[in-house]
Amino acid sequence: MIQLYNVTKKYGGESAAVKDMTLQIGKGEFVYITGASGAGKTTLLRMLYAAERPTKGQILVDRKNISRIRSRQIPFLRRKVGVVFQDFKLLQSRTVFENVAFALEAQGKKRYEVSKKVYQALKEVGLEHRLQRKPLELSGGEQQRIAIARALVVDPLILLADEPSGNLDQEVTFEIMALFQQANARGTTVLLATHDHSLNQRFPRRVLTLDQGKLIGDQRPLQG
Amino acid sequence: MISGHYRVELSICGCLRLKLLETKLVELEAPAVLDKIRYFIMRALRNMRQWPLLCAASILTMAVALATVATFFLVVVNTEQLALRWTKEIQVIAYLQKAPDQQSLAGLTKKLKDIPEVETVQYVSQADAMKRFKKHLGEDASLLEGVNADLLPASFELGLQAQYRNQAGIASVIEQLENYLDVDDLRYGQQWLEKFNKFAQSLRFIGILLGGFLLFAALFIVSNTIKLTLYARRDELEIMALVGATMRFIQIPFMLEGAIQGVLGGVLSLAFLAISFVFILSPSLNSFWLTPTDFNLQFLSMNQQIIMVFSGVVLGVLGSLSSLRRFVRF
Repeated sequence: MIQLYNVTKKYGGESAAVKDMTLQIGKGEFVYITGASGAGKTTLLRMLYAAERPTKGQILVDRKNISRIRSRQIPFLRRKVGVVFQDFKLLQSRTVFENVAFALEAQGKKRYEVSKKVYQALKEVGLEHRLQRKPLELSGGEQQRIAIARALVVDPLILLADEPSGNLDQEVTFEIMALFQQANARGTTVLLATHDHSLNQRFPRRVLTLDQGKLIGDQRPLQG
Repeated sequence: MISGHYRVELSICGCLRLKLLETKLVELEAPAVLDKIRYFIMRALRNMRQWPLLCAASILTMAVALATVATFFLVVVNTEQLALRWTKEIQVIAYLQKAPDQQSLAGLTKKLKDIPEVETVQYVSQADAMKRFKKHLGEDASLLEGVNADLLPASFELGLQAQYRNQAGIASVIEQLENYLDVDDLRYGQQWLEKFNKFAQSLRFIGILLGGFLLFAALFIVSNTIKLTLYARRDELEIMALVGATMRFIQIPFMLEGAIQGVLGGVLSLAFLAISFVFILSPSLNSFWLTPTDFNLQFLSMNQQIIMVFSGVVLGVLGSLSSLRRFVRF
């Protein structure tokens, strides 16, 4: 589903944020990306949804080479890739319903389809009773669940999460993790960048470790 | 469409459904294009409602900018109209050394009329001249009591045809006049005419220069205001791009919003302009000492008013588009 070949990303004249990285992630995998701040986790994710282009190397997503993707094609890549952020990135001026519906409307989905899917997505994250609230009226955990509903409502092939639990306490983090696992169980490939090792201990999965832009570890959990 | 009995139902999530009472659930599907247009219009209106202050700032800036340019336009147009009026007054007055007798007057008048440049010929006898002078003096006319009626010279006043109301035309008329008349003095305001021509030229030049400058300033201010309003909404733009909206999908509601604001700004600017016309422009131009009393100041014609509202729309749409490119990058 995701392949990187010798990918390097440099910002201006600085040292590379990602250095000569080669890796492959299969369809339906659940992968943690760990490493200290500045290890290149965010840059790696940003390249996967074409917010950045690699300086060198090739990136394939769903068998399409996106390293030199045309601007016009980016929206269509992003429809296959749901993204969740540490700071949620919700529209504060819109209701919970509108925030989730936004992702479908942006793809030109029909109205009745939008209503139905948004309701289902919110039901899955347990927020169907908060439809008409504004994000700021809700707790951090609830806001992140809305962001996840927004990412999942479009049935993405890949779900990217950049420190999704960075602002949340542990109990809420585990609730969020359960949502990612549900999505993964339905076939969505999940990449989760985090420096919280407790997540892997509790939910063991493949772990990619980055350090100063380099891939220094690729561990899979022992079977059984 | 499936025939049968339908019931319109509002489902939990607000979507409209037509329910076939027997078995099937049929969903009402509007044609996709209409659905999209509806969505874009709703989105634009909702955005305006969600950001009333930003919206008001854009409309107000556009209105002020348009009204400023239009006020300037009105000043230039009216001054030019006034100038045109003045040229109507251009005539050649030939003061005669000796008043012609009754027999020769008719022949002379005809000869003068036959000069190709001349439109009207008016003979002012000595008595007429005195009458005019008395009228002009008004209450002080008593000063003329006891003064001989032949004090003032008789004269011919020649009005020129429109296309000859210029220096060349006047020169030609004077040349021909001197063949027919024993002229004591000629008045045709030559110096004044030269000055006027220069004035009209510089007015046009300054008009184009200042007008262009104002237009540029207006464009700059409006696009900056729109840029600021979009800056406040950059999160929204970023998120739209993140969830896979195409550039066009992001642009259209903003363009529509710009267009709606442009219409409102244009209409508001007309209101500003009308106020400034009634209270500032027309009193000041009318108090100008050279303005004839029967001169009607011009407001914008219906077409010009439509153009003004339309410029508001263009300003709004282009302003939104050019600013959007700065915030939405793929």
